[in-house]
Amino acid sequence: MGVTEVFTTFGDVYLRSVLSTWLMTAVCFAGGLALGILVTVLRVSPVKPLRVAGDVYVQLFRNIPTVSLLVIFVYALPYLGATLSYRTCLLACVILVVSSFASENFMSGINAIGVGQIEAARSIGLTFVQIVRLIVIPQSLRTTVLPMTNLLIATLLTTAMGSQVPLTPPELTGMVNYVNSRSVAGISAFIVSAICYAGTSVVLGWLGNKLDEKVRIVR
Amino acid sequence: MAIETATPVIELRHVDKHYGPLHVLRDINLSVAKGEVLVVIGPSGSGKSTMCRTINRLETIDSGEILIEGTPLPQEGKELAALRAKVGMVFQSFNLFAHKTILQNVTMGPIEVLHTPREQAEAEAMELLRRVGVDSQAAKVPAQLSGGQQQRVAIARSLAMHPTAMLFDEPTSALDPEMINEVLAVMVELAQEGMTMVVVTHEMNFARRVANRVVFMADGQIVEQNSPDEFFDHPQSQRAKDFLESIKGH
Ligand SMILES: Nc1ncnc2c1ncn2[C@@H]1O[C@H](COP(=O)(O)OP(=O)(O)OP(=O)(O)O)[C@@H](O)[C@H]1O
Ligand SMILES: [Mg+2]
Repeated sequence: MGVTEVFTTFGDVYLRSVLSTWLMTAVCFAGGLALGILVTVLRVSPVKPLRVAGDVYVQLFRNIPTVSLLVIFVYALPYLGATLSYRTCLLACVILVVSSFASENFMSGINAIGVGQIEAARSIGLTFVQIVRLIVIPQSLRTTVLPMTNLLIATLLTTAMGSQVPLTPPELTGMVNYVNSRSVAGISAFIVSAICYAGTSVVLGWLGNKLDEKVRIVR
Repeated sequence: MAIETATPVIELRHVDKHYGPLHVLRDINLSVAKGEVLVVIGPSGSGKSTMCRTINRLETIDSGEILIEGTPLPQEGKELAALRAKVGMVFQSFNLFAHKTILQNVTMGPIEVLHTPREQAEAEAMELLRRVGVDSQAAKVPAQLSGGQQQRVAIARSLAMHPTAMLFDEPTSALDPEMINEVLAVMVELAQEGMTMVVVTHEMNFARRVANRVVFMADGQIVEQNSPDEFFDHPQSQRAKDFLESIKGH
């Protein structure tokens, strides 16, 4: 079966699997960013135990292979009385991993702000929460567009972890198994999925560059 | 004239501070009266910046007391933030908010801390920017301005909080020579309008012109204080004599 045949035969399943991959990527990235901001706020807070907790969190989820995390969620959590759906397990794992990388990006963005601006903000009477909201988050978001774009693409590729659990519809990598268990497409199914990943990544990368040009802070 | 036992705007009593084994502030006693302009001078590492920074609690102290208009500085939190805003601070490196326009740099404090309505805050900010001569730059971001212009914006940003006193930590040291005077001019004007000021600077002409008192620091101590003319022309301590000799060449 050639690439075009794979398209014509499985076109609508492919469409659904592309959409499913995009949706998971969006949910995981948004969730990872939100959680990453939270963890980063802990890591820069004036309270030492919170800083330590934030650092431990990042070390934990940045250094465990996503697949191991997924195994723990799928097989170990039920023993603790929490049986989550496969999709929920997958999303939770990817979000945890993405958030730890996002926090590392934010930290480098924060380091670029410099202690002077923070002191100036303190000296005009802004509180810690105001400084985080008005200075730290906006500036670190705007200086980390490029690394965050890379993280978004990495998130897209990490959703391929979904091929390790049964999902309906399957995401792009699971789709390869789906096609090959119903016909003899061989490498063609891989190629179609690869084209979808690569196409998406190129568009995201381009959008990231445009956004960076727009919001980058001149220093 | 009625006899007034006016409360000093800034008062330091027996302030001590260490950085690890380093004793940076040794039993500092200092009081700054309303409208007074104090110039702090001394060799590098003598604790001038540290003293300034303890006054609005950017640094903690080990012992002693710091009072602003008779009120001791609170430990942390909202109360401290509020009191801090009453003492403006201008830094050597300007420290403008890089992601905000010049106008937004000046309005942020009033809007967020004083809860001034935006329109009023903007009107006041434009007036302040006009006073320091950078109103035409209001829509730009800090990186588009010269150092001198940025420092004048930083002064406007502090003034927007209606401070009762202003601290300046070497406000002209990072500036190219041709920009120093435009910043000093703004400071002279402020002094003449009666602002209470503590200025760390080696600009002797500025000190002679507007300072009421010069405080000479060395090794974390106030070694000598006097009127500017007395201090510069007849320093008492050997340390002050040596120091003045060393900066003469510049
Ligand atoms: N955060 C810090 N940690 C440890 N030591 C510090 C810290 N900040 C300052 N010091 C030390 O404290 C001493 C006083 O520093 P300070 O900056 O107050 O001096 P200064 O009089 O302002 O000097 P300069 O003229 O160079 O600005 C110096 O020896 C300095 O190295
Ligand atoms: Mg200094």
